Amino acid sequence: MADATLQHNAAAAHGVAGEYEAPLFGAYSKKVGMWLFLASDSLTFGALLFAFSYNRIYTAWPTPFGKESIINATIMTACLLSSSLTMVMAVFAAQRHDSSKTRLWLLATMVFGTAFIVLHGMEWTHLIHEGLSLPAFPKPAGQLDTEYAKISKGVPQFAATFFGLTAMHMLHVTIGVIYLGVVALRKWFLPILGVIYIGAYFAIPADNVFHYAVHALLIGLIVSAVILFLKPKDYDAHDVEVSGLYWHFVDLVWMFIFPLVYLMSTKI
Amino acid sequence: MHDVAKHDDSKGQYFWVWGALLFLTAVEVWLGYRQVFEPVRMLQVLLLLSVIKSALIIGYFMHLKFEKAIMRWMLVISVTGCFVIMYFFFFPDADRVKPPPSGVGIGQKS
Amino acid sequence: MATSATAHAHAGPQGFIRKYIFSLDHKVIGIQYFFLALTAVFVGMFLSLLMRIHLIAPLASLPLVGEIKPETYLSLLTMHGTIMVFFVLTTAPQGGFGNYFLPIQIGAPDMAFPVLNMLSFWTTFVGFVVIIAAFFVQGGAPLHGWTGYPPLSAVQSAGPGEGLGADLWITSIAIFCLASLMGALNFLTTTLDMRAKGMTMMRMPLTVWSWFITAILGLLAFGVLLSAGILLLMDRNLGTSFYVPQIIVNGQIMLHKGGSPLLWQHLFWFFGHPEVYIAILPGMGVTSQILSTFSRKPIFGYKAMVYAMLAIGFFGFMVWGHHMFMSGMSPYSAFAFSLLTMCIGVPSAIKTFNWLGTMYKARIRFQTPMLYAIGFVSLFVSGGLSGPFLAQPVLDIQLHDTYFVVGHFHLIMGVAAIFGMFAATYYWFPKMFGRMMNESWGRIHFFITLIGTYAIFMPMHYLGMAGGTRRYSQYTEVAYLQKLMPIHQFMTYAAIITIAAQFIFVINLFWSMFKGPKASDNPWEATTLEWITATPPPHDNFGGVTPVVHNGPYEYGVPGAARDFVMQTDPPVASSGH
Repeated sequence: MADATLQHNAAAAHGVAGEYEAPLFGAYSKKVGMWLFLASDSLTFGALLFAFSYNRIYTAWPTPFGKESIINATIMTACLLSSSLTMVMAVFAAQRHDSSKTRLWLLATMVFGTAFIVLHGMEWTHLIHEGLSLPAFPKPAGQLDTEYAKISKGVPQFAATFFGLTAMHMLHVTIGVIYLGVVALRKWFLPILGVIYIGAYFAIPADNVFHYAVHALLIGLIVSAVILFLKPKDYDAHDVEVSGLYWHFVDLVWMFIFPLVYLMSTKI
Repeated sequence: MHDVAKHDDSKGQYFWVWGALLFLTAVEVWLGYRQVFEPVRMLQVLLLLSVIKSALIIGYFMHLKFEKAIMRWMLVISVTGCFVIMYFFFFPDADRVKPPPSGVGIGQKS
Repeated sequence: MATSATAHAHAGPQGFIRKYIFSLDHKVIGIQYFFLALTAVFVGMFLSLLMRIHLIAPLASLPLVGEIKPETYLSLLTMHGTIMVFFVLTTAPQGGFGNYFLPIQIGAPDMAFPVLNMLSFWTTFVGFVVIIAAFFVQGGAPLHGWTGYPPLSAVQSAGPGEGLGADLWITSIAIFCLASLMGALNFLTTTLDMRAKGMTMMRMPLTVWSWFITAILGLLAFGVLLSAGILLLMDRNLGTSFYVPQIIVNGQIMLHKGGSPLLWQHLFWFFGHPEVYIAILPGMGVTSQILSTFSRKPIFGYKAMVYAMLAIGFFGFMVWGHHMFMSGMSPYSAFAFSLLTMCIGVPSAIKTFNWLGTMYKARIRFQTPMLYAIGFVSLFVSGGLSGPFLAQPVLDIQLHDTYFVVGHFHLIMGVAAIFGMFAATYYWFPKMFGRMMNESWGRIHFFITLIGTYAIFMPMHYLGMAGGTRRYSQYTEVAYLQKLMPIHQFMTYAAIITIAAQFIFVINLFWSMFKGPKASDNPWEATTLEWITATPPPHDNFGGVTPVVHNGPYEYGVPGAARDFVMQTDPPVASSGH
């Protein structure tokens, strides 16, 4: 069955009869496209990590992360790894054409992903409150003047790379959750996302940076609405597998960010 | 040509991979938290563990192990090739951000 | 294998908006890209005209823009460079002609991801609007050059255009990166997955190969520029210091501290050098196609051409440091970069040799596309020869930031690539619009443009060797450059004439679109798949049938064949060539 789909990949997509050459990569187009995107995206992250290392390599780098941060980050890592497992289960369920199981596993993946984002957001809020901040971030009420504040003045690259790298990754996780939500629930996901956006916007106080970052959800809402309008079809096993590729990649990137950003900066 | 559904029977291996990933993470955290090695060696060890973890994710979760050889090699070589090139030229060059010895230049002012 | 008008698998969308504006048809998107690039090239050309006039008459008050102040001059050159590199050299050959002809040449009904294709065009369009908006915001357009070196580009208070204008500039580039990524993975997937039966990789036309390799470069390079741009935006707006060391601007100590401007140069040129090949490779592909067609001979060394392009793409990623010799890099790195840069000369020479080999002892049909293809080879050689000079760190330190460099990259990356586009336009116009372009006006346009470009850019080399620095707005103020002013005057007059000649092209283009003689299905007697279908092609390219390919792409003058060319879909011939 899969062979036939692969062979007539182009034909099926366009309703044109005729024979095609076997795909060079032996996979259907969406999968190849996603892999190529991931190759490019890994270079985007790679460049960020190189920038991080380039700044760090000859700088007296601070090591402020204590027990609390490390435990938190470890739980976040476990969340992401488990979400990858549930994603694999979702792909299997989709290949068995078991759509209700697929949806459940996808929702489980999204729950783990959301847990990651929330934990990470709390970590950020905590660090900003302790004084690790960028000049442009809103100053929360009662910001403390601890070791972190000295660090963000003394080695501005520390805060910059921490927030830059993790924000980029968090953005990818957010996009991933929205992507999975669209695959799992299709247009029913849009009102849910809208409610989450509005709720988060009003629940987060204005002196928190996420009060502004939450607008990313609005952009995600608009983009997914446009895509659902352009392609209002049901998503099949292939789509689930492709979204899984993206999700695992987000997981993979964290496997580099976690040791480089957190574990290399633990407090002695 | 490979059929994705064929690997359905070996679902157990994904739990093993998941367990291995969690275990490696625990090792990393332990190494990092107990400061087992001095920083440069630590970086090498952590990066090695991360590469192993990402290989597990790419190979099993992302299914690259079961794709055609040409796809595997093209993707892996092009991306790692770029990283290797960047590695060889970025880091020898990075010592230029090193602050000048014994505090000459603008580092000392202000 | 003629087109059967009866078997339309599915009709295209009706309605004006879905058919011409938000179309999913790769042909419409290709034409949209083409006209976007045409608009952009005229904007960029107008900016260069203003610069050239300013250089010979610094105090003159020009109509529309008034007197050009030094900072305005810098804005002009920044915007000229950025618009030309991103929205012309990257957009037209790949987005325009690639979009239109890659699916047809491999026998596919459309791109692999039509929706993504449409999004990629409209994202590019948004990027263009954003960069044009930089002219109209407070402070005007940025003045840090198309390379955007920090700290100038990373500090808001560094100059008049460095406020909102520079933010728009970097945003536009980030948007363009996203658009190019979408385009690149679409091109790659289409080529990998949607080739018609018999269209093996080694039977693909060299144009397809060139778009394919360009897409690989774009895929790997634009991601890096994207993250470089994100870091620059953070430096500018969030107060981070990735690129900014401790610095005093206008007498004020900035809060930035500890960053490295060289980091931007590394990241930027890691993208920037492959970008040069993104601009030139499609031109090489088109030139190979046209030289073979109009020489009525198979391309000389098809496989060598493919491997040479792959080698150029491969080495393109390892040579970015030759833009940074002046930064005082380690001599060992400089040596490695220099050596690798020289290596690119080898595949380039192979290509040139093969082009000449294709034309050798051929019965050449000197029609306009062929003239432009020959012009491309000529510019490629004369622009390329100054490359090895600049690849030597010793010479580069002398020639860096002089007009020598300007002349070099304009000849090879700018004008050569544009000659590739002209060749492609004259060659494929009949297929795209169903009519022929005017031949005599095409020739007049060619000769004025060829002589004009040499007249503009050749003197720049001498100017550079004499020490004429680039990016100065007024050479009248510098004593030792005063004597070089006649050269500047000559270049300006040449530029005015050449720019005027481009209107011949535009008038010819639009006049022929409506009034030109009707084109047949295969006016050039070429062999590749776009010439077997109707003119212009139906919505699904081949009218409901998928061609089956039996031959290589350049079977001209095959012994024993009925005609002097064998279409790719004709019954197989015992090929004497590759």
